[in-house]
Amino acid sequence: MDNLNKGEFTFSNDTIKNDFELLREALDASLSGIIITDNQQPDNPIIYCNKAFEKITGYSRSQIIGHNCRFLQKDDRDQAERAIMREAIKKGDHCVVDIRNYRLDGTLFWNELYLAPIKDDQGKIKYFIGVQNDVSRRKKAEEELRVNQTKMEQRIRERTQSLRESEEYLASIVQTVRESLIVLAPDYTVLSVNNHFLRTFKVSREETEGKSLYQLGNGQWDIKELRKLLEQILPTNNPVVDFEVTHDFPHIGKKLMLVNAHRIELEGNYKDRILIAIEDITERKSIEQRKDDFLSIASHELKTPLTTIKGYVQIINRLMPDSADEKLKNAVSKTTVYVERLNNLIGELLDVSRIQSGNIELHKEPFDFDHMVDEAADSIRQANSSHEIVINGSTDCQFNGDESHITQVVTNLLSNAIKYSPDHKQVSVHLSVVSDFIKMAITDHGVGISRDEQHKIFERFYRVRETQQRFPGMGIGLYVCSEIIKNHGGTLWVESELGKGSTFSITLPLQEAKGAENAG
Amino acid sequence: MPAKILICDDDEGILDLVDLVLGGEGFDTIAEINSLNVTGVIEREKPDLVLLDLWMPVLSGDQLLRTLRSNPQTKHLPVLVISASSDGKSIAMNAGATDFIPKPFDLDSLVNKVKRLLPAN
Repeated sequence: MDNLNKGEFTFSNDTIKNDFELLREALDASLSGIIITDNQQPDNPIIYCNKAFEKITGYSRSQIIGHNCRFLQKDDRDQAERAIMREAIKKGDHCVVDIRNYRLDGTLFWNELYLAPIKDDQGKIKYFIGVQNDVSRRKKAEEELRVNQTKMEQRIRERTQSLRESEEYLASIVQTVRESLIVLAPDYTVLSVNNHFLRTFKVSREETEGKSLYQLGNGQWDIKELRKLLEQILPTNNPVVDFEVTHDFPHIGKKLMLVNAHRIELEGNYKDRILIAIEDITERKSIEQRKDDFLSIASHELKTPLTTIKGYVQIINRLMPDSADEKLKNAVSKTTVYVERLNNLIGELLDVSRIQSGNIELHKEPFDFDHMVDEAADSIRQANSSHEIVINGSTDCQFNGDESHITQVVTNLLSNAIKYSPDHKQVSVHLSVVSDFIKMAITDHGVGISRDEQHKIFERFYRVRETQQRFPGMGIGLYVCSEIIKNHGGTLWVESELGKGSTFSITLPLQEAKGAENAG
Repeated sequence: MPAKILICDDDEGILDLVDLVLGGEGFDTIAEINSLNVTGVIEREKPDLVLLDLWMPVLSGDQLLRTLRSNPQTKHLPVLVISASSDGKSIAMNAGATDFIPKPFDLDSLVNKVKRLLPAN
């Protein structure tokens, strides 16, 4: 090659053969398949192909030259790209298309075909140059990308759908729940309420949402104490728990509402909102009141005939001649015992109703605590010769409290210890002073109480299920005990293991004010 | 002359029992089941002591007691209130009872209380 002038080849007669050979080699060195078709001959046959074209297609030159390039498409003729090509050929434009071609061995490859017309001076197309690249790999990647994209879109659609469903689901729960719910902004403006709120207070959404909580209705929630509690929620994260509001509400009249409120524990959009749940407990309270009244009346009504029975049994005892049949004497003495037992049961019922109505009267006087425990233990020993009660330690203290009530607690705990340990004969009592508290622990080695029952046994009328059959009772004793201890500023608790026994402990503050402070 | 004791209780069982016991102790007893009749009976019989139940229909024991206390004739008449009610004692004492005994009572403690309250003693 003589010269490469401004990027153009120039040939001279002397070197043209060599120069041509150089260009041919350059074409053969290309990775892209290159063909030339002669548009002046019928069916536009291929008149030239380079080495790469042979390599890409698998055909040899002798199988290529003279054919129209459609032979690469085999039977796959319905490709949309062919129309683009036809259009370009007709107009004499360039075009680039990706078409499916088939190698000699029949395998598919994606051919990125660049088609360029070569025109003469009159603009008539003489040749086409085709440059081909096997882009199967790229096509595959594109295809995978497209599949992934479709899958992703599908997944997003599904996720959105399921989010919407779960939102609707939650909303339907919130709207169905039989408790009034209010969501407040940090400035106590009502953001939303549920349907139950609207139904309960007989108000509309319009007159509620967007208003300050304190302006609702006739100012029913504008209570100094409640305001203080609500204002503490955000800074301290202390919830409002079971705050009772008795109020003459507009539309619905005098009601007792139980208010609970807490901060919504979310960041972002919902940060620092307050959820208030309001429950109408008017009816429940009145039922509770009626039940307490019933207990009180029932025990009163039971006591009257019991008084008569007890009196007549006493009279029978007095009239009983010494010569009377032993069986008769025995029957009468048993009657006395059971009348007394019935009396105690009724007394317990009465205790409960008294505690419920807040009428527990304490007659506080200093008494010798250790002596009181001794006496209580003695009375239990007399009634239960089967068990041994061992007292360890001492308090050496005068306790200022209601001796008869505290005696009731000790007696009750001791009888329980015996009642629930039929197979182990020892019950131990440990007395001590811990800091400024009297401590008494009563331990048995009986049936024990399972962990999840332990906190329930102090509730009134609660009975551990498995023991109901074996050990009859009303589920009152421990409730009364814990109320009595509470009324003295002390605590009563249990530690127990099923099958191994229980320890019931009480602590009572020696200096009441200080003790109550510590307990609080 | 044995002391005269008026017993008023709307429960016939109690009335019979107390009547039997106090009669057995040698007292002269009058049993009255209707509290509305009590003022009339007191006027007529002039008892030395009244045993009074609290929960009675129409006229309750404490209402009756207040009436008795407002009348100079019966202002100082010893009245022993008997009740099974848990707050019976405070109600009775507030209404002017001389003493109180809860139901169910022990016969001996009843008799002892009655003897202590009789003015002759």
